[in-house]
Amino acid sequence: MQNNEELKLALLIASIAMLMMAFFVISFVMYYQKKRFEEEKKISDIEKNYNRLLLDTALNSEETERRRIAQDLHDDIGTMLSLTKLSLNQLSKMIGTTGDEKEDQIMKKSQSLVEETILHVRRITRDLVPTTLERFGLLEAIEEFIDKLEEDNNLVISFQANTEEFPRQGQKLELTLYRIMQELVNNAIKHASCSRIEISLESTEEMIGLRVTDNGVGFDPEKIKENNLAGLGLLGIESRLAIVNGTVQYEKPLNGGSSAFAQIPVMPIAENKPEPLHPFRRERVNI
Amino acid sequence: MLEIYISYFARQPLASIPVFLTLIPIVLIWKRKAYLDRTFQILAIYLVAKFAIDFIMFDWASQKKNTVVFYNLSVPVRYILTSWMFYNKLEIKRYKNWLLLSVPVFTSFSIWDILNTNPSLSDLHNHKMVLYSTTVESLLMLFWILLYFYNTIRTLKIPNLLTYPFFWVCSGLLLYYSSFLFIAPVLHYDSKWEQWLDMGFLSYVPYIFECVSIVLFSIGISQFPSPRYAK
Repeated sequence: MQNNEELKLALLIASIAMLMMAFFVISFVMYYQKKRFEEEKKISDIEKNYNRLLLDTALNSEETERRRIAQDLHDDIGTMLSLTKLSLNQLSKMIGTTGDEKEDQIMKKSQSLVEETILHVRRITRDLVPTTLERFGLLEAIEEFIDKLEEDNNLVISFQANTEEFPRQGQKLELTLYRIMQELVNNAIKHASCSRIEISLESTEEMIGLRVTDNGVGFDPEKIKENNLAGLGLLGIESRLAIVNGTVQYEKPLNGGSSAFAQIPVMPIAENKPEPLHPFRRERVNI
Repeated sequence: MLEIYISYFARQPLASIPVFLTLIPIVLIWKRKAYLDRTFQILAIYLVAKFAIDFIMFDWASQKKNTVVFYNLSVPVRYILTSWMFYNKLEIKRYKNWLLLSVPVFTSFSIWDILNTNPSLSDLHNHKMVLYSTTVESLLMLFWILLYFYNTIRTLKIPNLLTYPFFWVCSGLLLYYSSFLFIAPVLHYDSKWEQWLDMGFLSYVPYIFECVSIVLFSIGISQFPSPRYAK
Protein backbone atom coordinates (compact mmCIF):
# COMPACT_ATOMS: atom_id res chain seq x y z
CA MET A 1 0.00 0.00 0.00
CA GLN A 2 2.82 2.34 0.95
CA ASN A 3 4.61 1.41 -2.27
CA ASN A 4 1.49 2.28 -4.23
CA GLU A 5 1.34 5.73 -2.65
CA GLU A 6 5.04 6.30 -3.35
CA LEU A 7 4.55 5.25 -6.95
CA LYS A 8 1.62 7.64 -7.34
CA LEU A 9 3.66 10.48 -5.85
CA ALA A 10 6.61 9.73 -8.13
CA LEU A 11 4.33 9.59 -11.15
CA LEU A 12 2.68 12.84 -10.17
CA ILE A 13 6.01 14.61 -9.79
CA ALA A 14 7.33 13.17 -13.06
CA SER A 15 4.16 14.14 -14.94
CA ILE A 16 4.17 17.67 -13.51
CA ALA A 17 7.85 18.04 -14.44
CA MET A 18 7.14 16.78 -17.95
CA LEU A 19 4.20 19.14 -18.37
CA MET A 20 6.24 22.05 -17.07
CA MET A 21 8.89 21.20 -19.61
CA ALA A 22 6.26 21.10 -22.36
CA PHE A 23 4.96 24.54 -21.34
CA PHE A 24 8.52 25.82 -21.21
CA VAL A 25 9.23 24.46 -24.72
CA ILE A 26 6.12 26.12 -26.14
CA SER A 27 6.92 29.44 -24.43
CA PHE A 28 10.56 29.24 -25.49
CA VAL A 29 9.67 28.58 -29.14
CA MET A 30 7.30 31.56 -29.15
CA TYR A 31 9.78 33.86 -27.40
CA TYR A 32 12.79 32.79 -29.43
CA GLN A 33 10.92 33.05 -32.72
CA LYS A 34 9.77 36.57 -31.84
CA LYS A 35 13.24 37.61 -30.77
CA ARG A 36 14.86 36.21 -33.90
CA PHE A 37 12.33 38.03 -36.08
CA GLU A 38 13.10 41.29 -34.31
CA GLU A 39 16.83 40.72 -34.80
CA GLU A 40 16.31 39.86 -38.46
CA LYS A 41 14.28 43.03 -38.88
CA LYS A 42 17.02 45.09 -37.27
CA ILE A 43 19.66 43.54 -39.54
CA SER A 44 17.46 44.09 -42.56
CA ASP A 45 16.96 47.75 -41.58
CA ILE A 46 20.71 48.21 -41.12
CA GLU A 47 21.36 46.63 -44.53
CA LYS A 48 18.68 48.79 -46.11
CA ASN A 49 20.15 51.95 -44.59
CA TYR A 50 23.64 50.91 -45.60
CA ASN A 51 22.55 50.32 -49.19
CA ARG A 52 20.77 53.63 -49.20
CA LEU A 53 23.89 55.33 -47.88
CA LEU A 54 25.95 53.65 -50.59
CA LEU A 55 23.54 54.81 -53.26
CA ASP A 56 23.47 58.28 -51.79
CA THR A 57 27.26 58.43 -51.79
CA ALA A 58 27.41 57.16 -55.37
CA LEU A 59 24.94 59.80 -56.54
CA ASN A 60 26.74 62.52 -54.57
CA SER A 61 30.00 61.47 -56.21
CA GLU A 62 28.30 61.57 -59.60
CA GLU A 63 27.06 65.09 -58.99
CA THR A 64 30.50 66.18 -57.72
CA GLU A 65 32.11 64.67 -60.79
CA ARG A 66 29.62 66.39 -63.10
CA ARG A 67 30.40 69.67 -61.37
CA ARG A 68 34.13 69.10 -61.69
CA ILE A 69 33.85 68.31 -65.40
CA ALA A 70 31.63 71.36 -65.90
CA GLN A 71 34.15 73.49 -64.05
CA ASP A 72 37.07 72.16 -66.10
CA LEU A 73 35.13 72.69 -69.30
CA HIS A 74 34.35 76.26 -68.35
CA ASP A 75 37.62 77.26 -66.72
CA ASP A 76 40.08 75.49 -68.99
CA ILE A 77 38.51 74.71 -72.34
CA GLY A 78 36.06 77.65 -72.19
CA THR A 79 38.84 80.12 -71.41
CA MET A 80 41.12 78.67 -74.06
CA LEU A 81 38.35 78.78 -76.64
CA SER A 82 37.64 82.43 -75.77
CA LEU A 83 41.32 83.23 -76.15
CA THR A 84 41.38 81.33 -79.47
CA LYS A 85 38.38 83.36 -80.60
CA LEU A 86 40.17 86.61 -79.65
CA SER A 87 43.35 85.53 -81.46
CA LEU A 88 41.33 84.56 -84.52
CA ASN A 89 39.61 87.96 -84.47
CA GLN A 90 43.00 89.66 -84.38
CA LEU A 91 44.29 87.39 -87.14
CA SER A 92 41.18 88.07 -89.17
CA LYS A 93 41.83 91.78 -89.01
CA MET A 94 45.42 91.24 -90.15
CA ILE A 95 44.35 88.98 -93.05
CA GLY A 96 41.63 91.48 -93.98
CA THR A 97 44.28 94.03 -94.80
CA THR A 98 46.05 91.66 -97.26
CA GLY A 99 42.80 91.18 -99.27
CA ASP A 100 43.25 87.40 -99.96
CA GLU A 101 39.70 86.08 -100.41
CA LYS A 102 40.55 82.40 -99.84
CA GLU A 103 42.40 83.13 -96.60
CA ASP A 104 39.49 85.32 -95.50
CA GLN A 105 37.05 82.45 -96.12
CA ILE A 106 39.11 79.96 -94.11
CA MET A 107 39.39 82.51 -91.30
CA LYS A 108 35.62 83.06 -91.18
CA LYS A 109 35.02 79.30 -91.15
CA SER A 110 37.51 78.89 -88.28
CA GLN A 111 35.83 81.71 -86.35
CA SER A 112 32.41 80.16 -86.85
CA LEU A 113 33.70 76.72 -85.76
CA VAL A 114 35.23 78.19 -82.60
CA GLU A 115 31.97 80.05 -81.82
CA GLU A 116 30.01 76.86 -82.36
CA THR A 117 32.40 74.95 -80.08
CA ILE A 118 31.99 77.64 -77.39
CA LEU A 119 28.21 77.22 -77.63
CA HIS A 120 28.52 73.43 -77.40
CA VAL A 121 30.76 73.71 -74.34
CA ARG A 122 28.26 76.06 -72.69
CA ARG A 123 25.41 73.67 -73.46
CA ILE A 124 27.30 70.66 -72.11
CA THR A 125 28.23 72.65 -68.99
CA ARG A 126 24.61 73.64 -68.43
CA ASP A 127 23.48 70.03 -68.96
CA LEU A 128 26.01 68.76 -66.50
CA VAL A 129 25.03 71.17 -63.76
CA PRO A 130 21.48 72.58 -63.86
CA THR A 131 22.24 76.02 -62.47
CA THR A 132 18.68 77.23 -63.13
CA LEU A 133 17.39 74.56 -60.76
CA GLU A 134 19.54 75.86 -57.94
CA ARG A 135 18.80 79.49 -58.60
CA PHE A 136 15.15 79.54 -59.61
CA GLY A 137 13.66 76.18 -58.73
CA LEU A 138 12.14 73.13 -60.37
CA LEU A 139 9.46 74.81 -62.54
CA GLU A 140 11.94 77.12 -64.24
CA ALA A 141 14.52 74.36 -64.65
CA ILE A 142 11.98 72.06 -66.33
CA GLU A 143 10.77 74.90 -68.57
CA GLU A 144 14.36 75.69 -69.58
CA PHE A 145 15.02 72.02 -70.27
CA ILE A 146 11.89 71.84 -72.46
CA ASP A 147 12.84 74.99 -74.38
CA LYS A 148 16.26 73.58 -75.20
CA LEU A 149 14.81 70.25 -76.28
CA GLU A 150 12.19 71.83 -78.50
CA GLU A 151 14.91 73.87 -80.19
CA ASP A 152 16.97 70.79 -81.00
CA ASN A 153 14.19 68.25 -81.76
CA ASN A 154 11.01 68.19 -83.76
CA LEU A 155 8.96 67.60 -80.65
CA VAL A 156 5.99 69.10 -78.85
CA ILE A 157 6.61 69.07 -75.13
CA SER A 158 4.00 70.42 -72.76
CA PHE A 159 4.43 71.08 -69.10
CA GLN A 160 1.90 71.81 -66.43
CA ALA A 161 1.94 72.07 -62.66
CA ASN A 162 -1.05 72.00 -60.34
CA THR A 163 0.16 75.17 -58.63
CA GLU A 164 1.39 78.38 -60.20
CA GLU A 165 3.87 79.03 -57.44
CA PHE A 166 5.62 75.76 -56.83
CA PRO A 167 7.15 75.95 -53.35
CA ARG A 168 10.90 75.41 -53.16
CA GLN A 169 11.89 72.00 -51.88
CA GLY A 170 15.10 70.60 -50.44
CA GLN A 171 18.06 70.54 -52.81
CA LYS A 172 18.17 66.75 -52.89
CA LEU A 173 14.48 66.41 -53.67
CA GLU A 174 14.55 69.03 -56.43
CA LEU A 175 17.63 67.51 -58.03
CA THR A 176 16.14 64.00 -57.81
CA LEU A 177 12.93 65.12 -59.50
CA TYR A 178 14.85 67.01 -62.15
CA ARG A 179 17.15 64.09 -62.96
CA ILE A 180 14.22 61.67 -63.11
CA MET A 181 12.35 64.03 -65.44
CA GLN A 182 15.50 64.32 -67.60
CA GLU A 183 15.88 60.53 -67.75
CA LEU A 184 12.23 59.87 -68.57
CA VAL A 185 12.14 62.50 -71.32
CA ASN A 186 15.45 61.28 -72.78
CA ASN A 187 14.11 57.71 -72.74
CA ALA A 188 10.97 58.82 -74.56
CA ILE A 189 13.04 60.59 -77.21
CA LYS A 190 15.54 57.73 -77.62
CA HIS A 191 13.26 54.69 -77.51
CA ALA A 192 9.61 55.68 -77.89
CA SER A 193 9.74 57.44 -81.32
CA CYS A 194 7.19 59.90 -80.00
CA SER A 195 6.08 63.27 -81.30
CA ARG A 196 4.55 64.57 -78.10
CA ILE A 197 5.61 64.49 -74.47
CA GLU A 198 3.56 65.71 -71.55
CA ILE A 199 5.17 66.54 -68.24
CA SER A 200 3.08 67.30 -65.18
CA LEU A 201 4.02 68.14 -61.65
CA GLU A 202 1.58 67.62 -58.81
CA SER A 203 2.30 68.88 -55.36
CA THR A 204 0.37 68.21 -52.17
CA GLU A 205 1.34 68.81 -48.57
CA GLU A 206 2.72 65.29 -48.28
CA MET A 207 3.76 64.18 -51.75
CA ILE A 208 5.19 65.51 -54.96
CA GLY A 209 4.28 63.62 -58.09
CA LEU A 210 5.96 63.83 -61.48
CA ARG A 211 4.26 62.32 -64.51
CA VAL A 212 5.86 61.97 -67.93
CA THR A 213 3.60 60.69 -70.70
CA ASP A 214 4.47 60.17 -74.37
CA ASN A 215 2.56 59.09 -77.45
CA GLY A 216 5.26 56.75 -78.71
CA VAL A 217 5.43 53.01 -79.22
CA GLY A 218 5.10 52.33 -75.50
CA PHE A 219 6.40 49.37 -73.51
CA ASP A 220 5.06 46.68 -71.23
CA PRO A 221 6.34 47.47 -67.73
CA GLU A 222 5.54 43.95 -66.46
CA LYS A 223 7.56 42.36 -69.25
CA ILE A 224 10.50 44.59 -68.48
CA LYS A 225 10.39 43.64 -64.81
CA GLU A 226 9.90 39.92 -65.52
CA ASN A 227 12.71 39.73 -68.05
CA ASN A 228 15.00 42.05 -66.09
CA LEU A 229 15.29 44.32 -69.11
CA ALA A 230 15.41 47.57 -67.17
CA GLY A 231 18.41 49.46 -68.50
CA LEU A 232 20.66 51.72 -66.52
CA GLY A 233 18.21 54.60 -67.02
CA LEU A 234 15.27 52.94 -65.29
CA LEU A 235 17.53 51.44 -62.64
CA GLY A 236 19.00 54.89 -62.06
CA ILE A 237 15.51 56.28 -61.53
CA GLU A 238 14.73 53.56 -59.00
CA SER A 239 18.05 54.12 -57.22
CA ARG A 240 17.46 57.85 -56.93
CA LEU A 241 13.93 57.23 -55.64
CA ALA A 242 15.11 54.67 -53.10
CA ILE A 243 17.21 57.34 -51.41
CA VAL A 244 14.27 59.69 -50.94
CA ASN A 245 11.68 56.94 -50.19
CA GLY A 246 9.99 57.55 -53.50
CA THR A 247 8.16 55.19 -55.81
CA VAL A 248 7.68 54.93 -59.55
CA GLN A 249 4.89 53.33 -61.53
CA TYR A 250 5.00 52.63 -65.24
CA GLU A 251 1.70 52.48 -67.04
CA LYS A 252 0.54 51.69 -70.53
CA PRO A 253 -2.27 54.11 -71.38
CA LEU A 254 -5.18 52.72 -73.40
CA ASN A 255 -4.65 55.27 -76.17
CA GLY A 256 -1.03 54.16 -76.67
CA GLY A 257 2.33 55.43 -75.62
CA SER A 258 3.66 55.10 -72.11
CA SER A 259 3.42 56.92 -68.84
CA ALA A 260 5.64 57.03 -65.79
CA PHE A 261 4.54 58.43 -62.46
CA ALA A 262 7.13 59.09 -59.77
CA GLN A 263 6.09 60.06 -56.27
CA ILE A 264 8.30 61.43 -53.53
CA PRO A 265 7.27 62.34 -50.01
CA VAL A 266 7.91 65.98 -49.14
CA MET A 267 10.96 66.30 -46.94
CA PRO A 268 11.66 69.12 -44.50
CA ILE A 269 14.01 71.68 -46.02
CA ALA A 270 17.41 71.80 -44.36
CA GLU A 271 17.87 74.93 -42.27
CA ASN A 272 21.36 75.70 -43.56
CA LYS A 273 21.31 77.33 -46.95
CA PRO A 274 22.43 74.88 -49.62
CA GLU A 275 25.63 75.48 -51.52
CA PRO A 276 24.84 77.33 -54.75
CA LEU A 277 24.76 74.91 -57.65
CA HIS A 278 27.15 76.93 -59.72
CA PRO A 279 29.41 75.22 -62.15
CA PHE A 280 32.20 77.63 -61.65
CA ARG A 281 33.18 76.89 -58.07
CA ARG A 282 35.49 74.07 -57.11
CA GLU A 283 33.51 72.65 -54.21
CA ARG A 284 32.26 69.28 -53.26
CA VAL A 285 28.48 69.00 -53.40
CA ASN A 286 26.60 67.28 -50.65
CA ILE A 287 23.05 66.75 -51.77
CA MET B 1 -29.63 3.26 -24.55
CA LEU B 2 -29.47 7.01 -23.98
CA GLU B 3 -30.09 6.45 -20.30
CA ILE B 4 -27.12 4.09 -20.10
CA TYR B 5 -24.95 6.66 -21.86
CA ILE B 6 -26.09 9.45 -19.53
CA SER B 7 -25.54 7.23 -16.54
CA TYR B 8 -22.01 6.40 -17.68
CA PHE B 9 -21.33 10.05 -18.49
CA ALA B 10 -22.42 11.00 -14.98
CA ARG B 11 -20.21 8.32 -13.45
CA GLN B 12 -17.14 8.98 -15.61
CA PRO B 13 -17.34 12.61 -16.78
CA LEU B 14 -13.58 13.06 -17.26
CA ALA B 15 -13.35 9.96 -19.45
CA SER B 16 -16.49 10.88 -21.42
CA ILE B 17 -15.95 14.59 -22.11
CA PRO B 18 -13.02 14.16 -24.58
CA VAL B 19 -15.13 11.73 -26.65
CA PHE B 20 -17.69 14.41 -27.48
CA LEU B 21 -15.23 17.30 -27.34
CA THR B 22 -13.55 15.80 -30.42
CA LEU B 23 -16.59 16.90 -32.42
CA ILE B 24 -15.63 20.59 -31.98
CA PRO B 25 -12.41 20.48 -34.09
CA ILE B 26 -14.14 18.21 -36.62
CA VAL B 27 -16.94 20.75 -37.08
CA LEU B 28 -14.43 23.60 -37.18
CA ILE B 29 -12.37 21.87 -39.88
CA TRP B 30 -15.55 21.45 -41.89
CA LYS B 31 -16.81 25.02 -41.32
CA ARG B 32 -13.45 26.69 -41.96
CA LYS B 33 -12.69 24.41 -44.91
CA ALA B 34 -9.35 23.67 -43.24
CA TYR B 35 -9.44 20.24 -44.91
CA LEU B 36 -8.25 21.96 -48.09
CA ASP B 37 -4.86 22.08 -46.40
CA ARG B 38 -3.17 18.69 -46.67
CA THR B 39 -2.05 18.57 -43.01
CA PHE B 40 -5.46 19.51 -41.69
CA GLN B 41 -7.04 16.97 -44.00
CA ILE B 42 -4.97 14.32 -42.17
CA LEU B 43 -5.92 15.89 -38.82
CA ALA B 44 -9.58 15.63 -39.85
CA ILE B 45 -9.12 11.92 -40.69
CA TYR B 46 -7.37 11.42 -37.35
CA LEU B 47 -10.13 13.20 -35.42
CA VAL B 48 -12.90 11.28 -37.18
CA ALA B 49 -11.10 7.97 -36.54
CA LYS B 50 -10.50 9.02 -32.93
CA PHE B 51 -14.15 9.94 -32.46
CA ALA B 52 -15.32 6.64 -33.97
CA ILE B 53 -13.00 4.54 -31.74
CA ASP B 54 -13.71 6.68 -28.66
CA PHE B 55 -17.43 6.42 -29.20
CA ILE B 56 -17.32 2.64 -29.55
CA MET B 57 -15.22 2.52 -26.36
CA PHE B 58 -17.75 4.81 -24.67
CA ASP B 59 -20.58 2.55 -25.81
CA TRP B 60 -18.84 -0.62 -24.60
CA ALA B 61 -17.75 1.00 -21.34
CA SER B 62 -21.31 2.10 -20.65
CA GLN B 63 -22.31 -1.56 -21.08
CA LYS B 64 -19.51 -2.54 -18.69
CA LYS B 65 -17.46 -4.32 -21.31
CA ASN B 66 -13.66 -4.27 -21.58
CA THR B 67 -12.73 -1.61 -24.13
CA VAL B 68 -8.95 -1.94 -23.94
CA VAL B 69 -8.80 -3.85 -27.24
CA PHE B 70 -9.95 -0.71 -29.07
CA TYR B 71 -7.41 1.40 -27.25
CA ASN B 72 -4.64 -1.07 -28.19
CA LEU B 73 -5.71 -0.99 -31.82
CA SER B 74 -5.94 2.79 -31.81
CA VAL B 75 -2.28 3.21 -30.78
CA PRO B 76 -0.69 2.35 -34.19
CA VAL B 77 -3.54 4.10 -36.05
CA ARG B 78 -3.00 7.25 -33.96
CA TYR B 79 0.75 7.17 -34.56
CA ILE B 80 0.39 6.63 -38.31
CA LEU B 81 -1.97 9.59 -38.69
CA THR B 82 -0.23 12.06 -36.37
CA SER B 83 3.23 11.28 -37.73
CA TRP B 84 1.84 11.64 -41.27
CA MET B 85 1.01 15.29 -40.41
CA PHE B 86 4.63 15.84 -39.43
CA TYR B 87 5.79 14.08 -42.57
CA ASN B 88 3.95 16.80 -44.49
CA LYS B 89 5.32 19.59 -42.36
CA LEU B 90 8.97 18.60 -42.06
CA GLU B 91 11.01 20.00 -44.92
CA ILE B 92 14.35 18.20 -44.62
CA LYS B 93 14.40 14.99 -46.63
CA ARG B 94 16.56 13.13 -44.07
CA TYR B 95 14.05 13.75 -41.24
CA LYS B 96 11.18 12.76 -43.51
CA ASN B 97 12.92 9.47 -44.25
CA TRP B 98 13.46 8.79 -40.55
CA LEU B 99 9.81 9.49 -39.89
CA LEU B 100 8.74 7.27 -42.75
CA LEU B 101 10.93 4.49 -41.42
CA SER B 102 9.53 4.86 -37.92
CA VAL B 103 5.96 4.14 -39.08
CA PRO B 104 6.35 0.44 -40.09
CA VAL B 105 8.83 -0.13 -37.25
CA PHE B 106 6.45 1.27 -34.65
CA THR B 107 3.41 -0.45 -36.15
CA SER B 108 5.22 -3.78 -36.04
CA PHE B 109 6.38 -3.06 -32.50
CA SER B 110 2.88 -2.16 -31.28
CA ILE B 111 1.41 -5.31 -32.89
CA TRP B 112 4.11 -7.35 -31.15
CA ASP B 113 3.30 -5.52 -27.89
CA ILE B 114 -0.42 -6.31 -28.23
CA LEU B 115 0.33 -9.96 -28.87
CA ASN B 116 2.92 -10.09 -26.12
CA THR B 117 0.61 -8.62 -23.49
CA ASN B 118 -2.40 -10.56 -24.71
CA PRO B 119 -1.38 -14.09 -25.74
CA SER B 120 -5.05 -15.02 -26.08
CA LEU B 121 -6.60 -12.40 -28.34
CA SER B 122 -10.01 -14.02 -28.30
CA ASP B 123 -10.35 -13.37 -24.56
CA LEU B 124 -11.67 -9.82 -24.81
CA HIS B 125 -12.86 -9.80 -21.23
CA ASN B 126 -9.32 -10.03 -19.85
CA HIS B 127 -7.68 -8.00 -22.60
CA LYS B 128 -4.81 -5.93 -21.15
CA MET B 129 -3.45 -2.56 -22.17
CA VAL B 130 -0.16 -2.57 -24.12
CA LEU B 131 2.90 -2.33 -21.92
CA TYR B 132 5.42 -0.34 -23.98
CA SER B 133 3.72 0.97 -27.13
CA THR B 134 2.15 4.09 -25.62
CA THR B 135 5.43 5.14 -24.00
CA VAL B 136 7.37 4.56 -27.22
CA GLU B 137 4.68 6.41 -29.18
CA SER B 138 4.87 9.34 -26.73
CA LEU B 139 8.66 9.45 -27.01
CA LEU B 140 8.57 9.32 -30.81
CA MET B 141 5.86 11.96 -31.07
CA LEU B 142 7.68 14.26 -28.63
CA PHE B 143 10.79 13.86 -30.77
CA TRP B 144 8.96 14.80 -34.00
CA ILE B 145 7.26 17.77 -32.33
CA LEU B 146 10.53 19.09 -30.92
CA LEU B 147 12.21 18.53 -34.29
CA TYR B 148 9.44 20.48 -35.99
CA PHE B 149 9.80 23.32 -33.44
CA TYR B 150 13.56 23.33 -33.98
CA ASN B 151 13.09 23.64 -37.74
CA THR B 152 10.49 26.35 -37.26
CA ILE B 153 12.75 28.58 -35.22
CA ARG B 154 15.71 27.81 -37.46
CA THR B 155 14.06 28.65 -40.79
CA LEU B 156 12.04 31.66 -39.56
CA LYS B 157 9.33 31.18 -42.16
CA ILE B 158 6.37 31.82 -39.86
CA PRO B 159 6.11 35.47 -38.83
CA ASN B 160 3.56 34.99 -36.03
CA LEU B 161 3.26 31.59 -34.37
CA LEU B 162 0.10 32.55 -32.51
CA THR B 163 -1.83 32.88 -35.76
CA TYR B 164 -0.26 29.78 -37.30
CA PRO B 165 -2.77 26.88 -37.02
CA PHE B 166 -0.29 24.01 -36.94
CA PHE B 167 1.62 25.56 -34.02
CA TRP B 168 -1.49 25.12 -31.87
CA VAL B 169 -1.88 21.51 -33.06
CA CYS B 170 1.77 20.85 -32.13
CA SER B 171 1.30 22.50 -28.72
CA GLY B 172 -1.77 20.33 -28.10
CA LEU B 173 0.09 17.16 -29.06
CA LEU B 174 3.13 18.18 -27.00
CA LEU B 175 1.04 18.63 -23.85
CA TYR B 176 -0.92 15.44 -24.47
CA TYR B 177 2.10 13.23 -25.00
CA SER B 178 4.04 14.91 -22.16
CA SER B 179 1.23 14.11 -19.75
CA PHE B 180 1.14 10.54 -21.05
CA LEU B 181 4.84 9.71 -21.04
CA PHE B 182 5.24 8.54 -17.43
CA ILE B 183 1.67 7.48 -16.79
CA ALA B 184 1.39 5.25 -19.87
CA PRO B 185 3.49 2.29 -18.58
CA VAL B 186 1.52 2.24 -15.32
CA LEU B 187 -1.83 2.30 -17.18
CA HIS B 188 -1.12 -1.30 -18.16
CA TYR B 189 -1.47 -2.30 -14.50
CA ASP B 190 -4.26 0.19 -13.82
CA SER B 191 -6.63 -0.86 -16.60
CA LYS B 192 -6.84 -4.55 -15.79
CA TRP B 193 -10.27 -6.02 -15.39
CA GLU B 194 -9.19 -7.86 -12.27
CA GLN B 195 -6.44 -7.15 -9.71
CA TRP B 196 -5.83 -3.68 -10.99
CA LEU B 197 -3.47 -1.13 -9.55
CA ASP B 198 -5.41 1.86 -8.29
CA MET B 199 -3.76 5.05 -9.52
CA GLY B 200 -6.51 7.31 -8.26
CA PHE B 201 -6.64 10.74 -9.86
CA LEU B 202 -3.52 10.09 -11.94
CA SER B 203 -5.44 7.78 -14.26
CA TYR B 204 -7.57 10.77 -15.25
CA VAL B 205 -4.60 13.01 -16.14
CA PRO B 206 -4.42 11.75 -19.76
CA TYR B 207 -8.15 12.53 -20.18
CA ILE B 208 -7.67 16.07 -18.87
CA PHE B 209 -4.79 16.72 -21.25
CA GLU B 210 -6.69 15.07 -24.06
CA CYS B 211 -9.33 17.77 -23.50
CA VAL B 212 -6.63 20.44 -23.38
CA SER B 213 -5.13 19.21 -26.65
CA ILE B 214 -8.55 19.14 -28.35
CA VAL B 215 -9.16 22.72 -27.22
CA LEU B 216 -5.75 23.74 -28.61
CA PHE B 217 -6.53 21.96 -31.91
CA SER B 218 -9.77 23.93 -32.07
CA ILE B 219 -7.95 27.22 -31.42
CA GLY B 220 -5.49 26.34 -34.19
CA ILE B 221 -8.22 25.45 -36.68
CA SER B 222 -10.11 28.65 -35.90
CA GLN B 223 -6.96 30.57 -36.95
CA PHE B 224 -7.84 29.80 -40.56
CA PRO B 225 -8.91 33.33 -41.50
CA SER B 226 -11.34 32.56 -44.26
CA PRO B 227 -12.89 29.46 -45.77
CA ARG B 228 -10.56 29.78 -48.75
CA TYR B 229 -7.38 30.29 -46.67
CA ALA B 230 -5.99 26.85 -47.35
CA LYS B 231 -6.12 27.41 -51.10
